[in-house]
Parts: sequence; structure tokens; C-alpha cells
Amino acid sequence: MTRPDRRETSQIRALHCALGQLNRADGSAQFSAGNTSVICGIYGPVDVKLYDEKLDRAHIEVKFRPDIGVPMTKDKWNESAIRSTFEREIIGQMHPRTLVQINIQVRQNDGSVDAAAINATTLALVDAGIPLRSMVAAATCAVCANGNIVIDPTQEEISKAQSTHTFGFSNQQTDSPAYVDSRGDFTMDQYNSCYDMCATATERIFAFMRSAIESKVSKESLNEA
Amino acid sequence: MVAEIEPSNIEKSFLLESLQKGIRVDGRGIYDYRTLKIICGPEVGLVEVQLGQTRVLARVSCEVTRPFPDRPTEGIVQFNAELSSLCAPGFDSTGKPSAQEVAITRMLERVIRQSRAVDTEALCILAGEKVWTVRIDVHFLDHGGNLVDAASIAAIAALRHFRRPDVTVDGEEAIIHDVRERNPVPLSIHHTPICVSFGFFGDGGMVVLDPNLLEEQTQASSFTITLNSHQEICAMNKAGGIPLDSKQIHRCIQIALAKVDEINEKIKEAL
Repeated sequence: MTRPDRRETSQIRALHCALGQLNRADGSAQFSAGNTSVICGIYGPVDVKLYDEKLDRAHIEVKFRPDIGVPMTKDKWNESAIRSTFEREIIGQMHPRTLVQINIQVRQNDGSVDAAAINATTLALVDAGIPLRSMVAAATCAVCANGNIVIDPTQEEISKAQSTHTFGFSNQQTDSPAYVDSRGDFTMDQYNSCYDMCATATERIFAFMRSAIESKVSKESLNEA
Repeated sequence: MVAEIEPSNIEKSFLLESLQKGIRVDGRGIYDYRTLKIICGPEVGLVEVQLGQTRVLARVSCEVTRPFPDRPTEGIVQFNAELSSLCAPGFDSTGKPSAQEVAITRMLERVIRQSRAVDTEALCILAGEKVWTVRIDVHFLDHGGNLVDAASIAAIAALRHFRRPDVTVDGEEAIIHDVRERNPVPLSIHHTPICVSFGFFGDGGMVVLDPNLLEEQTQASSFTITLNSHQEICAMNKAGGIPLDSKQIHRCIQIALAKVDEINEKIKEAL
């Protein structure tokens, strides 16, 4: 079995990221896996609207905008899923009565876009200096019609897939996922193998994020010296 | 979240005093454009424009739809531009659009759609049955002033970069060829309108080209002129502000003519 782009079943696409590209945002990151590309900008901690104000912690708001068309129901769903994932990770108690706004803009959607959005958000939060308990990385698996499981599927593979599964893991707690999204029909065995494949892939993504942040920090400290 | 914070009086007066000496806060000459970068791809119809600190992403896509009953032989051009909360704090895309947002999107719609830059009759597949709908999505990523110019360059470059699947019509049957089967074809574009904006200060005597964010917030009046590569005027916009001398407008047009040529060269290079 070969995949349309001749990857191995457990091979993710080439990763690319750029931190702090936007001038207005307090922190930003662009994360790409192959042709899928997402840009995320963070404003925070900033002034919060009165009715969103929380006395003991920061309010977290997520805006998700697709590459084509206006935000629809499925984008609203992504917003709430990403918000509940990162509400656990952001130490909101350090900035009570403020707002942390996460703006996600899809540049190009070639499959596995929700995983890319989570990865971009983590990098942007680190770039903005928002206090975090841990970092979150996510990966997507697809179960093909013939039962094969492939990681980081393209749009073409997703459209032919029986089910798709996205798992996000925190780097502090790797034994249970921070984000789960499964669509389609699947057996428990398929689910478990997808879980294992995504867990392995997120380890690679964590290593990639780490080197990206390290190189940015070392560049900044060189400039200051 | 609070809307944009106005620059302080001291910033404004510094800007005006320097301008009286012919110096701009970012060190440009008064008729200099900021550094323009146009990045195309990787997909067709995806163009990012960086104009100084301003960043705009344009995305062109297409699908087959039914034409409007009163225009059975014309394709449809849809346009979508919203100031999202990403480009500057305080912009909110959920509520009522702000006056600034309406001004920008109306201007772009006039420039791209109503100047009939795209040949809509060439988008017809089967008259009255099937036409192409070309969709232009403009995403503002970073607001560093003069969004209109950056967006118009991005939208036009994306339209020229875009390729749609090829179609063959056999009687009543239309076959849409997969991009791997047959090379996709470019859109037929009549002309390439490009916006050039000016900012006026004081009593209208001081003028700058391509105002940045601070200049945009301080200016007494703005003037946007849209020209194509045939040196024709497609749209002009002076919304409110102080009254301007008509001689000023003539001078601006002359400057804009030269700039549009430069920008067109840049777009050609990037494609």
C-alpha cells in the first residue's frame, strides 16, 4: 500500500514553523505540516469585557477562522474544543480579571488542520509569554477504507477515510490525552492503534517545538548581549 | 476588549513637526512606499503581501454553481473581507462592523468586483445551468496602517496566480477535468486595479504616500486612488476629512501613476 504522496504509514509531513512574525500581536506562531498551514496570534493579558470578567482567573477566548469563507458551525466547535483544552494548560490565576485572546487563522487546509491549530496555539502562547502548566501537541490519524492506519493524513486521504482521530497530549502528562476528537465508525482496536501512533508522533512534534523555541530564545539572547 | 488606543498628543505633535521639515517618523521620504513583499503559493491563488508591518493574505477559490436567473451567461465573483481580531486588538468580527471596517471592505469590493476586473462571461460553463463562482477571501493578519493598498495588491495578485480546473463542454454535458488529468487554466482578467493611498495633514498642505499606522491615526484626511496598468482611473475615494485643493488631487494622481507601474512590476516578478 502506498500513500498518494509516497509517505510511510507512520511518517508525518515536513514540519515548519516561524515564531513572532506578527507585530501587533503579543505573541504569534505559524505552524505548517506539508501544505497545511495555520497562523495563530495571541493578545494577552489584556482588558476584558465586563460580562466576561472572572474574579479569580483570566478569561480565555478563541477565534477560529477558516481559509475559505466565513466561520461556520464546525469552526465554532473547533473554538470551544481548543478553548477547553487550553483552559487547563494556561495558569489563568496569575492574571485575574484579564483576557487572553487566541486568534487562529487557517492559511491553507490540506487535512489535519485541527492538530496544526493546536500546535500553532501552543507555540504562540509560549511566544507571548503566557504562563503555561505544560505544552500541548496534537496529531491526526486516519483509518483508510482497507483498514490501514495512516498518520497526518492529507485532505485527499481524509475524504476517503473510514474514520479520523485527533489526539493532543500534554508534555507533562503523557499517559492520558488532553484532546480527543474521533469521527466516523471504528473498532476499539483501531482506536487504540491510532492512540499509540498519535502519541509517538506528538513526541516528534514536541522535539520540533523545543528546537524552534530554543533557536528563537538563543537568537534573542545573542541580540541582547 | 478596548478598541484601538489613540496615539498620545505628544506623538501626534512630534509627527506633525517632523513632517513640516519633510521628515517622516519611520525615516521614509514623503513619497516613498514601504518595502513591498509578495509571496505566492504554495497553492494556486494563495498570496501573502507584506507592506512594511502590514500583512494581508488573499485566498482565491472556485466552485461550480447555478448562475443568477437574470444573468444566465455570467459567472459569479464573491468577495469576503473582514477585519478579524487577529490583525489588531479590539477588532471584533462577531458584532456590528465598525465604520472603518465598512469603509475598507466597500472600497475593496468596488476595486475588485465593480471595476469588472474579472471576466465573468469567461466563467460560464453552460448558460443558465452551470457557472464558476470565484471566491476571494482577504484575511488581514497584521495592521500596520494602509490595509486597503495591501489588500488590493494581495487580491489582484491572488486572482492572477489562481488556476481553475479545465472544462470541456460537449453539447449538454460538461466535463470538469481533474488538475492531474489536464493542466488548470488561469482566469481571464481584464485589468489589474491597484489602490494607492495618501494621507493629508494640517490644513491639507502636507501629504504623504502610504501612511503607516501612526500617520493613519493622525491624518486630517485620506485619499485613495485606484489605477490599472493602462493608466486608467478605476475608483477614487475621499471619505470625509478636511477639504482638499483640487491641484493636490492632480499631483497625487501623477505620483500614483508612477507607483502603480512599480507595483505592477513587483507583482509580475512575484508571479
